[in-house]
Amino acid sequence: MHNILAAMLQPDTSQTSQPSYAVDTSIWHQMSDALHQSIYRVLSLLISILPGILALIMSTAAFVLIGIVVSAVLRRGLTAAKFDDRLARGRGNVNWAPSASPTALIGRVSFWVCVLLGLIIGISAFDASFATAKLLPSSLMPYLSRVVGAILLLIAGTLIARFLARSVLIEAVNAQLEYARILSLGIKWLVLVLTAAMVLDHLQLGGNVVDLAFAILFGGIVLTLALAVGLGSRDLVSRSLESRAERSGGHSAAAPATPTTAPDESIRHF
Amino acid sequence: MATTDSIPGVITPCARTGRGLLVVLAAMAQEQLESVLASLTDSFPAEDLLVASPDARPGNSNSSLRILAAPAADACWTLTAAEFANAYPLAAKNEARAILMLGPESCLLASSELRGLANAVLTTPADLVVPSYDLPPRAGLVNSAILYPLTRALFASRVRFPLAVDLGLSLRMAERMAGAARRFVVSNQGEAPLWPVNEATVAGFAIDQVEVGRRVQPPPAGPDLNTILPLVTGALFSDIDAKAASWQRFRPLPSACDVLPEPQAPTTNAAAEISPMLQAFRLACTNLQEIWSIVLPPHSLLALKRLSATDAAVFRMPDSLWARIVYDFLLAHRLRRINRGHLLGALIPLYLAWVASHFNITDSGTNSEHHIEAVAAAFEADKTYLVSRWRWPDRFNP
Repeated sequence: MHNILAAMLQPDTSQTSQPSYAVDTSIWHQMSDALHQSIYRVLSLLISILPGILALIMSTAAFVLIGIVVSAVLRRGLTAAKFDDRLARGRGNVNWAPSASPTALIGRVSFWVCVLLGLIIGISAFDASFATAKLLPSSLMPYLSRVVGAILLLIAGTLIARFLARSVLIEAVNAQLEYARILSLGIKWLVLVLTAAMVLDHLQLGGNVVDLAFAILFGGIVLTLALAVGLGSRDLVSRSLESRAERSGGHSAAAPATPTTAPDESIRHF
Repeated sequence: MATTDSIPGVITPCARTGRGLLVVLAAMAQEQLESVLASLTDSFPAEDLLVASPDARPGNSNSSLRILAAPAADACWTLTAAEFANAYPLAAKNEARAILMLGPESCLLASSELRGLANAVLTTPADLVVPSYDLPPRAGLVNSAILYPLTRALFASRVRFPLAVDLGLSLRMAERMAGAARRFVVSNQGEAPLWPVNEATVAGFAIDQVEVGRRVQPPPAGPDLNTILPLVTGALFSDIDAKAASWQRFRPLPSACDVLPEPQAPTTNAAAEISPMLQAFRLACTNLQEIWSIVLPPHSLLALKRLSATDAAVFRMPDSLWARIVYDFLLAHRLRRINRGHLLGALIPLYLAWVASHFNITDSGTNSEHHIEAVAAAFEADKTYLVSRWRWPDRFNP
C-alpha cells in the first residue's frame, strides 16, 4: 500500500520533461497500424487474385502458342491443297495479293480466334478468383469490360473517320471543289468527335456533361453551316454548283459528239 | 487491211467446222436493227447466216434471214460478260462456224466493213478479230492513255482497241470467253467488261486486226468520267492481276503498221479545253499528296510537283513518267495498299494531266497516233520495272 502511494505521489519526470511524446507515439502507432493494415489488405488482395492473374497470363500465352501452331498448320495445309487457286477458279476473275490471299486470311483468323479464346478463358478464371477474393471494389470488373469496349469503339471510329475523310477528299478533288481538304478534315473531325463522345459515354465518364457538350458542339456546327450556306455563302455555293454543272457538261465520259458541226472538237474519254 | 498479231511458236491453228456465221447483236432500236439486217443481207448469203438479237420479232422485214431471239441483256456501251456467256451456247446449239458480235450503234458500220470482219474470222486462222476504228483525235482517250499501252506492253499485242465494241470470234475463242464470262455471271457481275485480247494471248490464239473506218462509239452508261474510269481501269487491273503468270513471260511484239493517220490540224480552243484539266490536276497536287505518297515513289511525286508548277502552254507530261505512274497504280491495286475505290479515284487527276499534255503535244503539230505509239513504247521500255516490283514489292524504290 505504501509502495502504491509512493508511486502515485512521485512526480512523473518523463511527462514533465517531454509532455507531447506519448501523444506522438500513439499517432505513429496508429499510422503504423493503418499502414500495416493497408499493406496487409493489399497483399491479401494480391495473394487472393494472383492465381487468377497467373491463370489469365498462362491461358493467353498457351492459346497464343496454340494459335501460332494452328495457323501454321492451316496455312501449310491450304497451300498444299492449292486452296487459293481452287477458290479463284470457282469465284470468277479474282486474284489476291500474297498478303491478302484467302489462305493468309484463314491463317490470321484462326490465330486471332485462338488468342480471343485464351483471353476469354483467362478472364473467366480471373473473374472466378476475383469472386472468391471479394476484396476488389465491386465496380472494377465491369469497368474493365467497358474499357475494352471503349477501345474497340475508338479503333472502329478512327478507321471509319479515315475512310470517310479519304472518300470525301478524293470525291471533292475530282469534283474540283477548292475546299476539298477542309471538307475532308471536317468530316474526319466530326466522326472523331462523335467517336470520342461515344467512348466517354460508354465509359460513363462525365455524365450529362459529355452529352450536353456533344449536342451543343454538333448542333452548333450544323447551325453554323446552315447559316453560312443560307446567308453568307449563297452566291459562292451557287457559283460552285454552276461551274460544276458546266464542267460535267464539258468533260463527261459520254459527252455526245455533234457530228453536224465539228465532230473532232468534242472530248470523248471513251 | 488486216494485220496479223500473232505469237510465233504458240499459236495452234483453228479448225473451222460448222455451217455458218452467227451474228450476235446488242440491244438496239427497231429501225437500227432493220438497218443492220439489211447490211448483213447485202454482205452474206442468207443461208450462211444466223442472227441472234434480243430485239428479234416475228415481223422483221428480212424474212430470208434466220433470226433467233437472244437472251435479253442490259443495254451497255461495250460488250459485257453476260453477252459473251450467252453467245457461245447459241453458236454451239446452232453449229455455227464463227461468231460476229456487234455492239450498240453497229447500224453505222458499212456492209463492206461487216464483211471484212466476218471474212477475217471465217477465212483466216485467226481466233479473234478486233476492229480498228478511225476515231477523231479527241476521242477514245482512256484507251489511248491506259488500255492500249498496257495491253501492248504486257500482252505483246498491237490491237489498238482492246475494249472494242465489235468482235469476230472463232468457236473455240467464244468458248473460252464464255468460260471467263460465266465466272462473272455467277457472281452477279454480268455487266463487267471482259478483255478478249488478253484471253486470246494467254490461250495462244491468233489475233487479227481489221480496219473498219469511222464508227460512232456508244456512250458509256455511267454519269461521268469519275465513275467510268475507275470501273474500266479496275477491270483491266484485275484481269492483269489474274494473268500475271502469263504476261511476265517474254513475248515478241508483232511488227508495227507503218501507215498512220494524217496529222490533224490544231484546234482553236485547245487552251480552253486544257485549262480545267490542269486546274483539276493542280488541285489534286495540293490535296492528294498524302494518298499519292502511298502509291507513288518519291521520284514520281517530285516530278508531279514540278509538273504542277509548269505553265499551261508548255505543259508536257513525260511518257516515261506516265508509264511509271500507271505501273505504280497497278502495283498498288494488286497489293491493296489503300482501298481500291480510293486508289482509282486518285488516278483521275493524273489521267486528266496526261490528256492535257497529249492535247498540247498534238496541237503543236505532232501526229496524235505518233504520240500514242510513243506512250506505248514507254510502257514497253518500263515493263522490267513492273515485273521487278511485282515480284519483289518491298524492295527499296526511290
